[in-house]
Amino acid sequence: MSKDNKGKRFSRRTVLMGAGAAGAAGLAGCIGGDDSNDGGNNSDGDGTGNQSGDGSGGSSGDMQPIQLLHAWSSGDGNAAIGALIEGFQEAHPDVEFGEEPVNGAARGNLDQVISNRLQSNDPPSTFQTWPGKTLQKFGDAYESIEEDVWTDDLTNNYLEGPKTQAQLDGTFVTVPLNIHRINNLFYNVSVVEEAGVDPTSLSSPADVVSACQQISDNTDAVPFAQQTSGTWSTTQLWETVLLAQAGIDGYESFINGEGDKAQVQSALENVVELSEFYPGDSSSIDFTEANTMVMEGDAAFIHQGDWAAGAYRGKDGFNYGEQWNQVTYPGTSGSYLLNMDSFPYFANNPSPEATKTFLSYCGTAEAQVLFNAEKGSIPPRGDADVSQLDTFQQDQYDDFNNADNQPPSIQHGLAVVPAIKTNIDAAFSGFLENYDAATTAQELVDSFK
Amino acid sequence: MRNPIALLRRRWSDSDDVRTDGGTVDSGQSFWNRDSVRSAPFWLPPFLLVGLFVYGAILWNIVLSLTDFQGLGSPDYSNLDFENYLAALADPIDGLLSVLPFVNGGAVEARSPSWAQLSVEPIWNSAWNTVVLMVGFTVVCLALGLALAILVDHKIRYENTFRTIYLLPMSLSFVVTAKFWLYMYNVETGLINVVITSLGFGAVEIVQNPDLKLPAVAFALVWQFSGYAMIVYLAGLRAIPTSHFEAARIDGASTLRMYRRVVLPQLRTATVSALVVLTVFALKAFDFLFSMYSGYQPGPSADILATRMVREAYANQNWAYGSTIAVVLFVMALFIVTPYIYSQYQRGEL
Amino acid sequence: MSQPTATDDQTGTETGLLAGYTLRRITLYVVLLVMAVFYLVPIETGLMTSFTDPDSYTGQAPFLPPLEPLIPGSGTFSAQPWTNAFDILGQGLVNSLILVVPATVLSGLLGSMAAYGLTNVDWRGQVGIYMLFVAGIFIPYQAVLVPLTQFWYNVVPLRTTFVPVAEVLPFIHAYHWKLVALIVTHVAYGLPICTLLFRAHYKKLSDEMLEAARLDGASISRIYRRIVLPLSIPMFAVVFIYQFTQIWNDLLFALTIVQFGDAAVVTQDLVGLGVSQSGTNFPLRMAGALVAALPTLVVYVFFGDKFARGVAA
Repeated sequence: MSKDNKGKRFSRRTVLMGAGAAGAAGLAGCIGGDDSNDGGNNSDGDGTGNQSGDGSGGSSGDMQPIQLLHAWSSGDGNAAIGALIEGFQEAHPDVEFGEEPVNGAARGNLDQVISNRLQSNDPPSTFQTWPGKTLQKFGDAYESIEEDVWTDDLTNNYLEGPKTQAQLDGTFVTVPLNIHRINNLFYNVSVVEEAGVDPTSLSSPADVVSACQQISDNTDAVPFAQQTSGTWSTTQLWETVLLAQAGIDGYESFINGEGDKAQVQSALENVVELSEFYPGDSSSIDFTEANTMVMEGDAAFIHQGDWAAGAYRGKDGFNYGEQWNQVTYPGTSGSYLLNMDSFPYFANNPSPEATKTFLSYCGTAEAQVLFNAEKGSIPPRGDADVSQLDTFQQDQYDDFNNADNQPPSIQHGLAVVPAIKTNIDAAFSGFLENYDAATTAQELVDSFK
Repeated sequence: MRNPIALLRRRWSDSDDVRTDGGTVDSGQSFWNRDSVRSAPFWLPPFLLVGLFVYGAILWNIVLSLTDFQGLGSPDYSNLDFENYLAALADPIDGLLSVLPFVNGGAVEARSPSWAQLSVEPIWNSAWNTVVLMVGFTVVCLALGLALAILVDHKIRYENTFRTIYLLPMSLSFVVTAKFWLYMYNVETGLINVVITSLGFGAVEIVQNPDLKLPAVAFALVWQFSGYAMIVYLAGLRAIPTSHFEAARIDGASTLRMYRRVVLPQLRTATVSALVVLTVFALKAFDFLFSMYSGYQPGPSADILATRMVREAYANQNWAYGSTIAVVLFVMALFIVTPYIYSQYQRGEL
Repeated sequence: MSQPTATDDQTGTETGLLAGYTLRRITLYVVLLVMAVFYLVPIETGLMTSFTDPDSYTGQAPFLPPLEPLIPGSGTFSAQPWTNAFDILGQGLVNSLILVVPATVLSGLLGSMAAYGLTNVDWRGQVGIYMLFVAGIFIPYQAVLVPLTQFWYNVVPLRTTFVPVAEVLPFIHAYHWKLVALIVTHVAYGLPICTLLFRAHYKKLSDEMLEAARLDGASISRIYRRIVLPLSIPMFAVVFIYQFTQIWNDLLFALTIVQFGDAAVVTQDLVGLGVSQSGTNFPLRMAGALVAALPTLVVYVFFGDKFARGVAA
C-alpha cells in the first residue's frame, strides 16, 4: 500500500551495500538515520562504480554490473522491485546490480532520462517501460532477445495477449513483469446495498448509468468517483466503455486506426452521461481523493485499474468481499484489458550477459509472484503458483486465465504508439473542457492521421 | 545625456594617464591601454560564459530545428531545411484568424513534415495562449503590486512583517502552490467558490472550464509573484521627493488625481524593472501547469508553447520539431526584449 | 528611508476629521490583514496537511489543524510525514546546498564585475555587449534543453576529467561532476539578470567619489575593490536572495543535467515524493514540499527585509 512508504526507499547505493544478502528490513534500516547517512551513502557510491556507465573499469568478475533504471521510487512499486531484486540476488549472487530509481515517479521523467542517455550513446542495461506500441518510442535502440531470453519455457507459458505485447514489430525485445487490469468497476458494498443496486446484475455501460441514477436517488453518496484534473482516468474509462460497446472487434479496429466514428462517439456519450454522477469537484481532486471517497462510503463506484485495490488493502476494516468488491466492467466480461510493465533489452548493452540473466529471471513464475505480491497486480505467465497472492489477486488471475482475449490498453501505452497517444491525450484534454462527444470522436479517429 | 557620469566616462576613456597597475607608460591609445581592454577582466569572463551557454545553445537549437532529429543517436546536420517551420506556422493567415478573439476562424489544416508518420499540429493556439498568459499575468501582477505598495506606504505598523508575508509565496515551489490552487478552485470546498456563493452567485467550475483555465493559472501566478512587484513599487514610491506631493496638494489635487498625475509617471523605472523580473517568472509557467494538470496536457485552452514543446520533444520524440517550437518561443521573447532595450537605449538608461 | 508619504499628506487635508481618520486607518489595516491571510493560507494549509496522519487524510478541509476527535473530518495528528520527508530528502538537500551556495555566490560576483566593467568604465561598444546580457534574461529555458544535454554529455569531457580527480580528493565523489556542470549552467543563465540588477545600482553611484579615486591614481580594479564592492552590499543581498530562490527551486535544469542518481537535487526528489500508482500520500508530499522550501522560507523571513531595502537602494 502506498501510504506506508515510511522512508523505505531502495536505491542503488543501499542495494550494493547489502551485496546480495540484504533483506527489505535491513535496507529500510540503512536509510533510517536521516542527514547523517549521506556520508555513508556517498562513500558507497564512490567505491562501487559511477553511474552512467563511467564505472566500467572498476567492477569485478567477468560480468559488468546491471544498470536498471526505474521510477518505482516509493510505495508498493518500490516494495515490489525490492522483492524482485532480492530474489534475483539470492538466485544469482555472482551478478552485480546497480539499481537506480529515477527520482520522481512520473514516467515521463524516466523516459526523458533514457532519451538523454540514448542521445549520448550510453544506454542502461534495461529500464521500466510499458511494452506494446510504447516500444516504438526507442525502437531502434532495442535488440532481440528471442534466442537468449524468450526460450520455449517463456513462449509456452505466457498467454497470447502479453506475448504479443512483448514484441516490437514481431521480435521479442522485452520481458513483461506484471499485469494491471483496467476494466474493473470497484464499489463500496454498503452504499450499493443501501441504494438497492446489485452490481453483478449490470451487463452494459448503460446499466452503469442507470445504477448511478438509482444511487443518486436513494443515497447521499456520490455515484461515480472520478477525477478530471488530469486526462488519464477519463481516457481509460472511455476505452473500457468502447470495449464494452463495440466489442473486441470494434476496439481492435480503433487501435489499428480504422475506428468507427459512431462507435467512438457512442462510448464518449456514455462517458458524458456518467459525468453527471461524478463528484461536483472532480476537476480539483486527484485519483487518491476519489478513491478515498469510496473507502469512506462517500461514493459508490470507481472505475480504475486494480491498483485502486492497493489502497483498500492497507485500510483496516475494509476487506475484499465484505466492505468493498469488484466486478468486471459491465459489458467487458471475457476481456482482460491489459496494462503492463516490462524490462526491455538495449542494444549496445553495458552488461550483455548480466542483463540477459536478469531478464530470464524476470520471465520466471517465481520472480513474477515475488514482484506481484507487493505490486498488487498479477503475473503475465499462465502457470504461476498464486497461492502467495491475496484473494482478490487470485480472483483476478482466474479471470485472466479464463479470458477470451487480452486487449492492450490505449491509455497505458500498449495499444498505440506514443505520438498517437499524445494526440488521444490532447483530444481528451479538450473533452474535459467541453464534453463535446461529436468533436472529440472526430479528433480521436483523426489521432491516427 | 543628463547623467553627469557620462562626462567623467568620456574623460576616462580619453585618458592616457599612467595607472598603478597598467604598467604601460605609453602615451598613445595602445591596445592594452584601452579601457575596453583594461576592464576586460571584469566583463569578459562573464560575457564568455553567457555567450557560450546562452547564445551558443540558442544557435545550436536553431540548427537542430532545421534537422529531422528524432531523438536517437546524433542529429544529422547534413540535410537542413525549413519544413518544421512550415508545419509549425502552417497557413499563417488562417492560423492567426483561428486564435484571435471575436473572429472565430475555422480549424487549421495540419501538415506532415517528411520525417513524420503523423501530421503535426501548428502552434497557433499555444502561441496565442502564451501571449495571453504573459500579458495578463504581468499586467495584473503589476496592478496588484502597485495597489499593495500604496497601501503599505501609509506609515503602517509592522510594515516589515506585512512586507515579508506578501513576499513569502515567492519562495515556494510549484509542487506546493499547484496543489494548493487546485484546492482553492475546488467547486465545493474551495475558498474562491465559497466567496462566490456567499455573494449569492452559483458555484463556478474553474479548473476544467475552458473560459477560466488560463485566467485561473495567471491568477495563481499573480498570487505567487505580486509580492515582488509590491516591493519594487514601494521602493519607487519612496524615491519620489516629498516636494512633489506637496506641490500637488497645494494645487488642490484629489488623491486619485495626484496618483495619476504625479506618482504614476515617476514609477516608470520601477515598472520596467519589475516587468523584467516578472517576465522571467511568466516564462516558468510551464512548471505550474505541469503540476496542476498532472502532465503536459493542460487542455487546448491552457496549452502554452512550453508545454507544447516538451510534449513534442519528450513524449513524441519529435526533437527537431520541439526545437522549432522553442525557437518560436525565443522569437516571441525577442518581441519583448527589443522594445525594452530600444526604449532603454533611447532614454540613455542602457 | 521613510519620507512622508502620499496619503499621509492627503489625510492632513482632512484635519479635524479624527473619526474619519481612524476609520480609514482601520479599513487600511483590515485590507492589509485580509491580504496577509490571502498570501499565508496556502502555507498554513500545507503545514496542517503535513502534520496529518496519511491514513486519516481526506482532503475535505485541509486548512484545519489535524485534531480528529476535536475537529471532525480533519484527520489525526502525526509528525511521521516530517521525519519521513527528512529521511527521503536528506541527500537531495545536501546536493542542493552544494549546488546553490557556489552558484549563487559566483553568479552574484561575476554579475557585479560585469556590471562594473560595463558601467563605471566607459568604452565604445559596451552598450552592444550589455544588450546581449539583457536579452539573455528573456531566454526561455525550454529553448536550450537539447543543446545543454548534448553539450554536457557529448561535447565537454568534464566527466572523464573529473572522475580521476575525484578519486584523489577527500569529500569529492565522482557523481559531483554533475553538480559542477549544473553550477556552471546556473551561473551562466543567472548572469544576465544579476548584471542588470547591479548595473541599475552602479549607475546611481556617486560620480564625484569615483572621479576623486581616479584622480588619486587608483586603478580600475582598485576602485572596484575599495569603493564599488563595499557600496554594492545592499545589492548583493537582493541578488543573492533572488538567485538563491531561483536556483534552489529550479527543476528543469536539474532534470536535464543531473537527470537522476546520487547527484539529484531536492526538487527532483520532491517530484515523485509520496506518489505511487495506488495513490498519493498528500501529508508526505506537503511535508516534503515544506522541508524543501525551508531554506528559502528562512532566507525570506530573516533577510526579506534586506531584500526590500536592497531593491529600494
